[in-house]
Formats: sequence, C-alpha cells, structure tokens
Amino acid sequence: MIPNAAEIRKLSVLSFSWLTVIFVAVWGVCWLVGILIPALLANSSFDFARAVSEICEAITPLLAVMVFIPINAMFMVLMERRVLALFTRRNGPNRVGPDGALQTAADAIKLLLKEDITPTGADAAMFTLAPIIFFAPSIFGAIPLLAAVTNNNKLFQIADLPTGIFFVLAASSIPVVGIVMGGWASNNKYSLMGGLRSAAQAISYEIPLVLSIITICLLAGTLDVVSIAKQQSGGILNWNILGGGALTGLNKAIAAFISSAGPPIAEVIKTYYPYGWLSLIGVIVLCLCTIILFGIYLIGACAEINRIPFDLPEAESELVSGYNTEYSGIKFAIFFLAEFTNLFIVSTIAVVMFLGGGDCPLPTWLNPLSYPAVYIPLTNILSPILSLLIDKIHLINPDTFWAALWVILKTYSLVFFAILVRGTLPRFRIDQLMDFGWKRLVPITLVIFVLVAFARGVINFHV
Amino acid sequence: MTSIQSACVRKVKQKKVAIDTQVPEFKTDEMIINLGPQHPSTHGVLRLILTLDGEVVKHTECVIGHLHRAQEWQGQNRTWFQYQALIDRVDYLSGMFTSWALCAAAEKIDGAVVPERAEYLRVLVAELNRISSHLLWLGTYLIDLGALYGFPFYPFIEREKILTFFEEVAGQRMMYNYIRIGGVQRDPKASWFKKVEEFTKQFAQRIDEYEAIVTENPIFLKRTKDVGILNKEVAMAYGVTGPTLRASGVAYDLRRFKPYSVYPKLEFTVPVYNKHGDTWDRYMARVQEMRESNEIIKQVLDMLPEGEIMTKKQNAGLRVKAGEGFAAVESPRGVLGCYIISNGSDKAYRFKWRNPSFSNLSVLPPLLENRPLSDIMAIFGSLDIIIPDVDR
Repeated sequence: MIPNAAEIRKLSVLSFSWLTVIFVAVWGVCWLVGILIPALLANSSFDFARAVSEICEAITPLLAVMVFIPINAMFMVLMERRVLALFTRRNGPNRVGPDGALQTAADAIKLLLKEDITPTGADAAMFTLAPIIFFAPSIFGAIPLLAAVTNNNKLFQIADLPTGIFFVLAASSIPVVGIVMGGWASNNKYSLMGGLRSAAQAISYEIPLVLSIITICLLAGTLDVVSIAKQQSGGILNWNILGGGALTGLNKAIAAFISSAGPPIAEVIKTYYPYGWLSLIGVIVLCLCTIILFGIYLIGACAEINRIPFDLPEAESELVSGYNTEYSGIKFAIFFLAEFTNLFIVSTIAVVMFLGGGDCPLPTWLNPLSYPAVYIPLTNILSPILSLLIDKIHLINPDTFWAALWVILKTYSLVFFAILVRGTLPRFRIDQLMDFGWKRLVPITLVIFVLVAFARGVINFHV
Repeated sequence: MTSIQSACVRKVKQKKVAIDTQVPEFKTDEMIINLGPQHPSTHGVLRLILTLDGEVVKHTECVIGHLHRAQEWQGQNRTWFQYQALIDRVDYLSGMFTSWALCAAAEKIDGAVVPERAEYLRVLVAELNRISSHLLWLGTYLIDLGALYGFPFYPFIEREKILTFFEEVAGQRMMYNYIRIGGVQRDPKASWFKKVEEFTKQFAQRIDEYEAIVTENPIFLKRTKDVGILNKEVAMAYGVTGPTLRASGVAYDLRRFKPYSVYPKLEFTVPVYNKHGDTWDRYMARVQEMRESNEIIKQVLDMLPEGEIMTKKQNAGLRVKAGEGFAAVESPRGVLGCYIISNGSDKAYRFKWRNPSFSNLSVLPPLLENRPLSDIMAIFGSLDIIIPDVDR
C-alpha cells in the first residue's frame, strides 16, 4: 500500500491539467497567428494585409517559444515543489487555487510587484544586464529544437541550420557569462564567489557534455537536429541511447519475422551486420557506449544548469544564495525562470539526441495502431470529426501532435529524474567537482569516442 | 603572526622578481568575509570572521554572544521553582539534560536520595532525548552538506514520535520541565511504556534505513572522509567532550567514567572510533550512540521498579539547603556540568554552568585552517553545537 497515494493522485491530476493548459495555449496561439490569420489575409487584395500575413507566419516559432517558456517554467516550479514534497513526506503548496495549481502564478505576480533593489556600490548597468544575458540564450537556443520536436512542421522552421546542435550547445553555454556578470556586479563577496565558481564549473563540464553529443553526431553522420530526430523514428530499438541505430537491423529483422511479407530475415541481417560475429561485438560495444554517454550527458547537463549535486554557484548552506544573493523582484524572477527553462532545454536536447525525439517508444511491429485491422475501423469512426479539424481548419496536425506529446512526456520524465536526484544527493565540494570532471568524465568520453569510431565501421547504419 | 607572514611574502616576492623580471606579478589579496550572524547554516547566530585566500580559509575568528541571555544571573534572581522551568531553554534540543544537571547538583546539596523509579524514569527520558537530539543533528547536518530536500526530513519522522512521548509525559514538546529537584514530575501511564517499547523495537531498523541512504553514499564519503581531522591531543587540550571526543578515540563518557544515577546497573558500550577523528567518524559515533541509547531504553523498560517518584513538594516554596554542589551529566553534546552555591533561601546564591558546546566550538578555528570554504559547513556541523548553549 502506498502511504501517500492520495497526494500522488492529486499531483497527477495537477500535472495533466497544467500540461493541457500549456498545450492548448501554445498550439492555440500558433494556430491563430500561423494558420488562421494568414489564411484569412492571404487572398486579400491589399498589399499591407498580405505583408501582415507573411510576418505572422514568420514570427510563429518565436511566438510559440515566448508563450511556452513562462507557462512551462511556472508548471515546472510547481511540479518540482510538489514532487519534492512527495519525496520528503510533506504536502507541498496546496492553498492557492485548486490543490495549489495557481501557486506559482501567484508567486510570479508577487515577484513582479516587488521593489527592484540595486545594492549600494553595485554596477547598475551590469547588474541589470546579467539576468537578461542569462535568460536570452534559452530563447534562441530553443528555436532550432522546435522543428525537431514538432516532427518538422513547416510552421516552425524559422531557420534551416545545418549545424543545428552546435548552435544549441553554443547558445546554452552563454548563460554562464550572465552568472559571472551578476556575481561580479552585485558588490557582494558571496555573489562574487558564486559567479567565479560557476565559470570554473561551466568550463570543465562543457567538455564532457559536448564530447558526448559529438559522439552521437558521429554515429548519426549529421549535425542537423531535425535529421537526427528523424533517423531514430520507429521505436525504442532505433533510438540513439541503444547503440545509436546499431539495433535498427535487429528491429527490421523482427519486423520481417512477424510480417513474413517483406524480405527474408537472413537478408536483412546480412544487409545491416555484414561481418558476422565482428558486427555482434560492434553492436554490444555501441550499446554500452551510448548508454554510458547518456549518463555522462545527464551529469554534464546537471552541472551546466547548476542543479544538485553540482549546485555550487548557489550553494545555499555555503554562499547563502550564490550569484543571485542580491537580486530581488523581477530580476530574480528572470534568473529563476531561466534556470528552469535551461533545465527543460537540456532535457529536450537529451530527448532529441538520445531518446528518439518525438518518436513513440513502441517499435512499429508492437504498436497496435500500425496494424490495418486496428486503424482502419478507428479512422472510419473518427474521420467525420477529424477531417473537419485536420483538413478544413487545420486545427489538428496529427504528426505534430504525437511528436510534441511524446517529447513532452519524455522531457518531463527527465525533469522528474532531475528532481529525484535533487531529493537524494548531497553537494560536491569545488575541488572534488573539478577532479570528477577532468579526471573521470573527460577521459571516459574520449575513450568512448575512439571506441565508437572503430565500432561503427562494422555495422551499416540507417540504410 | 601577520608581520612574519608578510615578511615571508615579501621575501618570496623578491625572489620571484630576481628570477624573472619579465613576468608581471599576479597580485592576490586575502579577503575577509563575514559568515553570519545571519547565515543559513550557522545554526543560530554564530558569527565567523573568515580570512580567505581564494576559497581557502586562512584564519577564523568566532564571535559569540549574540544569544547571551544571562542564564546564570537569571538563576540568582529567580526562585528554585521558577529556575528549574527556565533552564530547559539553555540547550533547547536536550532540555532533559540541563534539568537533570541542575537537579542532581541541588540534590547533592540537599543530601536527598531520589526514589529508584524516578532515577529509572530520568534515564529513560534522557536517552529518548539523546536520540531525538541526534536525529535532529543528522537532519541538519545533511542540509549543511547540501542534501537540501531529501533525507533530512526522514529523521524527523522518528523525532516526531519521541516528541509526542514527551508531550504525553511532560505536557510539552521541547521545554519539558520534567526532571525536578527530588524526582520527576509525573508517572506515565502503562500505555505510554507500551508505546515506547514499540518505538524501540522498530527504531534499530529505522537507523539501518538512514545508514543505507547516508553512510556509504559516495558524495557523502567524499565530503566527510579525511575532513576536519581532530587529533586526540588537540581535542583533549581544548576540553572537547561528548561524541566529538569519542570519535577522536578517547573513551570518555561520564555514564561510564563517573557513573551517576542507575547507569552502573545498565549494560551499554561507549562507541569509540579510533581511526582519524574526521567528520565521518563523528557521524558514525552519533549513529552508534543512537543504537546504544535504544538498547539502554529497552533495558530500563525491563528493569523499571514500582514505587514513588517524588520526594519534595513542588511549589513556590521549594528550597535547597545551604551549601555547595557540583554535578555533571553526559548530554548529547558532551559533559554538562552545574555548580551551585546555595544559602538556604528560596533563591540560589550563585550558579555556574559548564556547557559542552562552548568547549566544542573553541576547537573550530584550528580545524578550519587551510580548508576550503565548503568544508566549513561539513566541519562546523559535525561538532553539533547549539548556540544558546554556547552563549547561555
């Protein structure tokens, strides 16, 4: 018997309703601005109206991110507090709104209305700029990911970046500048120490983080996030976390065994694994390597976004609150917002790079919806409604919907994992942190990189 | 000291300049930082003036007295009856022990014999209090180490049960005023003993659970092993007592060394860790002590005799004979002593308290020397200091 089953039920209801609100709000805005207004104005005879429709289409991805980030961060803060409360046998915030659902909204309003204090002796300009520099990269870093997580919906393609993942990584390494600036400008010794710690930490942990991503790019053969996400479609065996596509042949072989219509199994295996037992070793090595890489990515990401056990820049029991000790009001709110947005973005990168992006975890041969006996009657029943929603007014786009749903589920699983870690582990010391980064993670990632480079030669990928 | 240091620095600088005049000098300065009195992890209002070289502590100065309440002077201006209710506040996590020290000293002056049942009850509640104090220490220590939200809350589950026992027997959860001059205040019901017995049965298993999360946790080991090593000699020179001393390898426990009350009749071991005297040993010493206390409680529940619990009338006219007396008990933090001069009136003539936290805190500056900033919390937390107990 679970002792706090009632609390878990409340939390699930809360999460479901919040996620629905996020989904409806973001997609509603995108549909309004990206589809409805252009459709109404496109055939207009006025040049001005046509220009407006084009602008509307162009700003849709930006609008999606801008609407998504604040609402999402609000939910994440609430979820973190409630889940931590569950771990520690408390109830968590449950007073504002039904079951505390509006707690973070109330907090946000409170922070907006608070006095904005700049401490004496602080460098006012830098002090104000720091939260902005901390927050801005999370917006433009998220944009290339948007196309990947919505199954390449043309509404969300703002820029086709062939070096997509590097752009995202580069953007995600800018916030540390904001932290150092904030720490330095605060005219507070605790803040200064927090800022300097953050700089040292970000530099050392970015290397294993980037190396683990590079290894995945080596397996995928591309830097483009959209194509990396696309390559992994077709169930959990195709995902990068399990050999980066090394198991695709196995997946195809099982599918051939079940359907008995396609090519014979021996032929499939021969195509994908041409070197017999050597290929088998390659597959095992790749699977192990990618699982370890996923772990290293999670550790590096935790350090990058300053979460326990790597939250040294704001170590509460040592530095009071680290780099944001002197911040209050809206500036503190922006720091807070950016922190949670960064958590969401590194989780999304993990989902796109390792966990198949918007792909259903069930392999096609296991997914009931992929069999005609199931989906034909279903479409017959639903077609009158769906045809109206999908074809006439484009309110639902099934591809985007399923992709976004899976991405949200997977990302929030990772966020949940991060909260779980926060609820269990003590904090590192700064020298131990450095040792762990440089003496453990960097060598391991380098060795794995070499192993993967050799092992991928004995297998055929993504044919 | 500083002049010698600066002379050394000057010498080194001159040497460097002589070797290579091309490299511009990288000037570093020591930074003075105020830790406290308002700081999340100073457990109250201790102020540490730290001289830092980067993140390394070069010099520590403890500033105490922010919570000074003149407890000794107050005792001289209050009747015995009032003061024995007030003294719980000195060490608010183990009020039973301060009461016990006061009462034992007063009873020595009186020459009174406390009924045996009362002595057993005193041991029972005191050992329960020791467990609750150590449990709170465990929770806050883990918070100090940065495990902000996780297991710190679990020890409080068991502590809550103990506080409920106290509430039932003494009427309060923290300021008990249960141990009185001449005995104890109230005889608990039979059902209370049954509840305590149930608690002792499952408590060993609960400690196993805490240890499963904490003791072998790699990050916890990294933060505590070989950190804040307190030598036997240094500890004894500074007058450190309690689990902090025993973790350094000295088997000094008043319950065994200078037995009082009914402790000679009870079987228990004094946990000694003669390895390093680092913070991990201090953690283990306290965990072992909780197990031992649990065993003592089990024995007391078996051996508890029937009979009276109070020899003196508890009212405003409570008096102690003229004379001098000293008594000490082994509190969760160390030796807690009380020295009284009584002139036979309703007020004492003079009080002097020997508080363990004060001596234990004095060892902090040598322990912190040349340690990184993060270790301050690991070391300071492991000493288990209560600021009102330091300042009185």
